[in-house]
Amino acid sequence: MSRLRAALDDFGQMIFFFFETLAWAVRPPFRLELVLAQMAFIGAGSVFIVGVTGTFTGMVMALQMNYALKQFAAEGYVGGSVAFSLARELAPVFTGLMVTGRAGSAIATELGTMRVTEQIDAMESMAVSPIQYLVVPRVLAAVIMFPMLTMLFNALGAAGSWLMAIGVAGIPEGPYIEHMRGFVDPSDVMHGLYKSLLFGLAVSLITCWRGYAASGGAKGVGEGTTRAVVASSIGILIMDYAMTVLSVGV
Amino acid sequence: MIEVRDLWKSFGPNQVLKGITLTVPKGQTYVVLGGSGSGKTVLLKHVIGLFKPDRGSVTVNGVEISGLTGKALNEARHVFGMVFQGAALFDSMTVFENVAFPIREKQRSVKLEEVRQKVVEKLKVVDLGEEVLERYPSELSGGMRKRVGLARALVSDPQVVLYDEPTTGLDPITTDYVDGMIIAAKQKLAVTSIVISHDIASAFRVADRLAVLYDGHLAAEGTPEEVKASPDPYVQHFLSMWFAKQ
Repeated sequence: MSRLRAALDDFGQMIFFFFETLAWAVRPPFRLELVLAQMAFIGAGSVFIVGVTGTFTGMVMALQMNYALKQFAAEGYVGGSVAFSLARELAPVFTGLMVTGRAGSAIATELGTMRVTEQIDAMESMAVSPIQYLVVPRVLAAVIMFPMLTMLFNALGAAGSWLMAIGVAGIPEGPYIEHMRGFVDPSDVMHGLYKSLLFGLAVSLITCWRGYAASGGAKGVGEGTTRAVVASSIGILIMDYAMTVLSVGV
Repeated sequence: MIEVRDLWKSFGPNQVLKGITLTVPKGQTYVVLGGSGSGKTVLLKHVIGLFKPDRGSVTVNGVEISGLTGKALNEARHVFGMVFQGAALFDSMTVFENVAFPIREKQRSVKLEEVRQKVVEKLKVVDLGEEVLERYPSELSGGMRKRVGLARALVSDPQVVLYDEPTTGLDPITTDYVDGMIIAAKQKLAVTSIVISHDIASAFRVADRLAVLYDGHLAAEGTPEEVKASPDPYVQHFLSMWFAKQ
């Protein structure tokens, strides 16, 4: 019972933290340089890992789809089904999980270390809001960069799929492209991008909160980072399910 | 002037402060002595509004800090500079960026050259040259980090400086130097200071008034001579640890 109460208390504090972040986001001074630095870290810094994951996901999906659809002599649908899966599910979810592992853990560790070494207290003592200085730029950067990385995942996933389907499986290019166009609507891509935007918001808030609320030295920072990554990953999966249900029904 | 009135604070079942009352007159240096874990840092963090009391109040120059939040609290903090126990330098910033941080954040229109001049001037005060400007905190010794922390606390010419264990971990020469800095800040800049310490020698050197914190309350309070003459057994035991060595 006490653990449940502690968990609810923690969740309540995170919600309060979220509203505090919103309030500081619209107050001057606006520190564009900090947002750009975080966009470079979260976005540009994740291009390699997201690109590799996207390419291989597309390649594997194409081979698997080809294997399954060949049973029905429907190999021409490989491009469409892979692109559809990428746009609505795989790109936002995999991007969210990969960026959580790379940038989210780093955010939690950095803020956690700043907390336990009193750097956050020092900032507050200098009349600078740590939420405005440290949290807002990270949240804004994540909300902007997650959809961009998702688009990168989509593009490289489609390229990987094309390579395998045309180059390896020998599917004719005409039906491949034709079915891809027919299957994937711009609204499917937008659906994935809305998801990734929400994932960016959630991951950045959870990881910032876990770092911001860290205590107890190196052990506390480590625990905070672990909890941040686990909570973000589970959060992504739950939100993905919820948005899918809202979009297409059960 | 800083007034702490009937300050109570607990963390879970642990009652750390039990009704602390003290007054720091303007321009004086007030030292709070006490053993490790006695609540000295908790007391100091209440003065600058980093902690909210369970009961009681902290008033600085007529403004009740303990009742403020958000922007109003930030405004009130402009009168403070604080030196942290472990220096608390931002490890992703160079020495220059660390010391310049309060000026750049408080007066965003100040030109870079002016900021640089002021940073160099304050570093000189703590006996550090321009060669450290581009170094990161990880490239500095403990004593140097502490001095950079001191320069950062003084760079915006605060009216009140709070020192959390300023001499802990320093060699005797640097300790003497830091003591001199605290005295100089009072004499030259008319700064009001609160120093948290368990360094008895240093405390008696810099204090105008002194208090001994024990078990959440002040076991003794007054001028250094009054505290030395306190009949409280804990105070006598605490002070004898050092005076016996003299």
